[in-house]
Amino acid sequence: MGLMNSRHPLGLLLVFAFAACSDDSGGDLQPLVPRSIASAGGDGQSAPVGAALPQPLRVLVTDGGGNEAPGVAVSWSVTQGGGTIAASSTTGQDGIASAQLTLGPAAGEHRAQAQVTGLAGSPVAFSATATGAGPPPPPGFELSVLSGGNNVPERFSSDLWVHGSYAYTGTWSERAEVGNVLKVWSLGAAGSPTLVGSVTVPGIGTVSDVQVTDDGQLLVLSGERGPGGGIFLYSLSNPAAPSFLGSALVGNAGVHTVTLSTINGRLYAFAARNPSLPQVAANDPALLIYDITDPRAPTLVSRVPFPERDYGIHDTFVRDGIAFAFVWDNPGVVIFDVGNGVQGGSPQAPAEMSRLVTSENGICCGPSVHNGWWFHNPVSGEKRYLFIGQEGAAVVGSQSSGDIHVVDVSDLANPTEVAFFHLDGAGTHNFWMDEQKQILYAAYYNAGVVALDVSGTLSGDLSNRLLGQVQPGGAGNTFTWGVQLANGSLYAIDMLSGLWQLTTE
Amino acid sequence: MPRNQSLGELRLVQPTIMAHAGAATNRIRLLATLNLEGLAIPDGELTPGAWGEGFIDRRHPHTYLHELMVSAHDVLGPADGPTLVSLALGKGFAPFGTDDPMARPVLRYPVNHHLAQILERVVVIAGVRAGPVALEASLFNGDEPERPGQWPRVNRFGDSWSARATVFPIPRLELQGSYARVRSPEHRPGAGTDQNKWSLSGRWADRSLYGLVEWARTSEAEGFFVFDSFLAEGAWSTGRSRLHYRFERTERPEEERTLDPFRSVRPHFENTTQGTTRWTIHTAGYGFRLGDATQPLGALPFVELSHGRIADVGGGLFDPRVFYGKTSFWSVSLGVRLNLGMEMHRMGRYGVAQDTAKEPESEHHGTHEQ
Repeated sequence: MGLMNSRHPLGLLLVFAFAACSDDSGGDLQPLVPRSIASAGGDGQSAPVGAALPQPLRVLVTDGGGNEAPGVAVSWSVTQGGGTIAASSTTGQDGIASAQLTLGPAAGEHRAQAQVTGLAGSPVAFSATATGAGPPPPPGFELSVLSGGNNVPERFSSDLWVHGSYAYTGTWSERAEVGNVLKVWSLGAAGSPTLVGSVTVPGIGTVSDVQVTDDGQLLVLSGERGPGGGIFLYSLSNPAAPSFLGSALVGNAGVHTVTLSTINGRLYAFAARNPSLPQVAANDPALLIYDITDPRAPTLVSRVPFPERDYGIHDTFVRDGIAFAFVWDNPGVVIFDVGNGVQGGSPQAPAEMSRLVTSENGICCGPSVHNGWWFHNPVSGEKRYLFIGQEGAAVVGSQSSGDIHVVDVSDLANPTEVAFFHLDGAGTHNFWMDEQKQILYAAYYNAGVVALDVSGTLSGDLSNRLLGQVQPGGAGNTFTWGVQLANGSLYAIDMLSGLWQLTTE
Repeated sequence: MPRNQSLGELRLVQPTIMAHAGAATNRIRLLATLNLEGLAIPDGELTPGAWGEGFIDRRHPHTYLHELMVSAHDVLGPADGPTLVSLALGKGFAPFGTDDPMARPVLRYPVNHHLAQILERVVVIAGVRAGPVALEASLFNGDEPERPGQWPRVNRFGDSWSARATVFPIPRLELQGSYARVRSPEHRPGAGTDQNKWSLSGRWADRSLYGLVEWARTSEAEGFFVFDSFLAEGAWSTGRSRLHYRFERTERPEEERTLDPFRSVRPHFENTTQGTTRWTIHTAGYGFRLGDATQPLGALPFVELSHGRIADVGGGLFDPRVFYGKTSFWSVSLGVRLNLGMEMHRMGRYGVAQDTAKEPESEHHGTHEQ
């Protein structure tokens, strides 16, 4: 309309030329007169109260021939729920006008509408659901020690996995003994851990990561710091005595972490291979994906190298066929479709969707992107936030640094950092979540275990979200590696003081 | 030794061949040092407290080409009056800190080698000397070598720099202060942490007496890790005999080791240590020169005794009592220094700094072994 009303001769000439060129379909040269308006998307979304909807509301304005009508002013208003929306917007060349609805303070149904006087279909109604902010943290929430601890005196402990009534923990580097052992713990009726066995892994000096399949039949661990680094698979047919099934070795480089995921009916292990010497392309750090459906014969199905100029890949998180690789400063977090379907990727051919380098936050010496957790919020239905751990400089056993960074991945192709949590004098390590209660548990090395309220919208500094904190081994005897919520207890594995059972009440 | 062990070794150490050449009335000079430790001690030399380049409690072998420097002296000629200006470039030492321990009386390497010297870099040095003051500034590559046959990363040239000021208040006395900013020395591709380094020293040398007092500090990862060193050493020569002594108190990082207790994990993939230890070491030795000093072949049989203590400082999970089984150690070395041709030059001094060091008498070569 704006162009058609132009009085500039050149403008008229251009419009005429455009009209002539667009006449291939045999239409006449009549001006585009808007006739109708209809919804073009955004209806039926949900978000927490007070939050903006994930996608804007959109309407399409067309003329009598169904052609898009640009330059049409559309009025927007909230009709129910008390939210906010722009008063107007104008259609573009595609005939689309959009506006972002921010929900009001009350949970329940919200309504808004788009209106152009005189057009068929006006007003266009939209509805949205405001979810509650989730249940507030339980009153009197407090992290405290229930049992365990000081139970691995001869070695430093590393990772943890709990399944059923057993827990499995790794060992790290060298104390009085080399950290080449997987410890097996029985959890009593009240959840208290008792050491019942151990498995020695040959050729390595650190058991760096441990995980058990959901069915409890298979345990995988990663090993490094020795000539026989790689991933090792064990049967848990007797959960008290893991029996070796197979391995995939990568040599001196070793594997820093391993993550299990079932994709299209097959079981895969996502292994973070360390850099190694000499520094040539073949020794680059890499994401190695193994098909371990037959655990006696792990098969490498793909290798995604990362440049040797950086420290390489430290961890992965895989969910819904999306793999997040945490690759230090360069390239930071890298998001792959490995079977989700959104970009045609598979474990055999991961399709990179995006990458993001999180902020340094003044922590030495760079973003140090180390680990993460993609939060699926069952309360709001959102899959919006990715929590990333920054592993800053540390003196293992006494000093650490590094923040928790929150990245909005509601659009996986365009991740955006939106918030952070900083704790003076300590740095974060591995995460676990109580997603139903919207609580993030973070191992925090010398600060022990930290619990954060991550309900609702996360933005900026989250220091006021701290729910609780505990040093399981006490000051000077705490350097916590990982946490896991299981059987109603929170278990923490501490490098110095071993396996602990914690309570949150 | 690690795991409460003891260890004896017979080694050929510090085998070097040096060459000097001059042209244009010695205003253009070539200085070269080949080091054959890559062949003689490929797995390093037992040296409690030593660390660097992935070796720990073993001194690493140097690169085969230890120095190859070309320098232009008094490049402005009479135009700058008595002031001397020099330019030097090649592979060698950055102007920082004190002399290479190979050129000093004590056989056993000090713990502070990687705090007090910056060596085996591609370096360009500009120097000025006016009266009793010499100033040097340099650009170089930050990366340390990882094996004897490795060359510096030329594409990293210029990512690091250093400056050194030396004052000569009276003949034979030398005072220096220096600073260096070294980019990612322990991660060759360049992703590692950077170092700020300081050094102060005083040195005396005449025909019978030698003394050195030095302090050095390395601050890494924006000050998260700080390592200090104090060292004092001296030698007294009379007739055929030489006595030497060194006191050192140096802090070093305790890095994660591989299953080989003498190696730490390389390449780094995170910015962590397991703590800091402080090594306090007394080393004393006696040598007796065989043959005539005027002969080209010299031999100095010697005995050297070290006693040291290890302290855990600054926290971290490394506990020397657990790892070594004790917190003190003894070390005895018996050997002979062999020299053919000229005496060793002060490695790491080029241009105006070389002019202050002992002048090469002629073009010779030398060997040096235990």
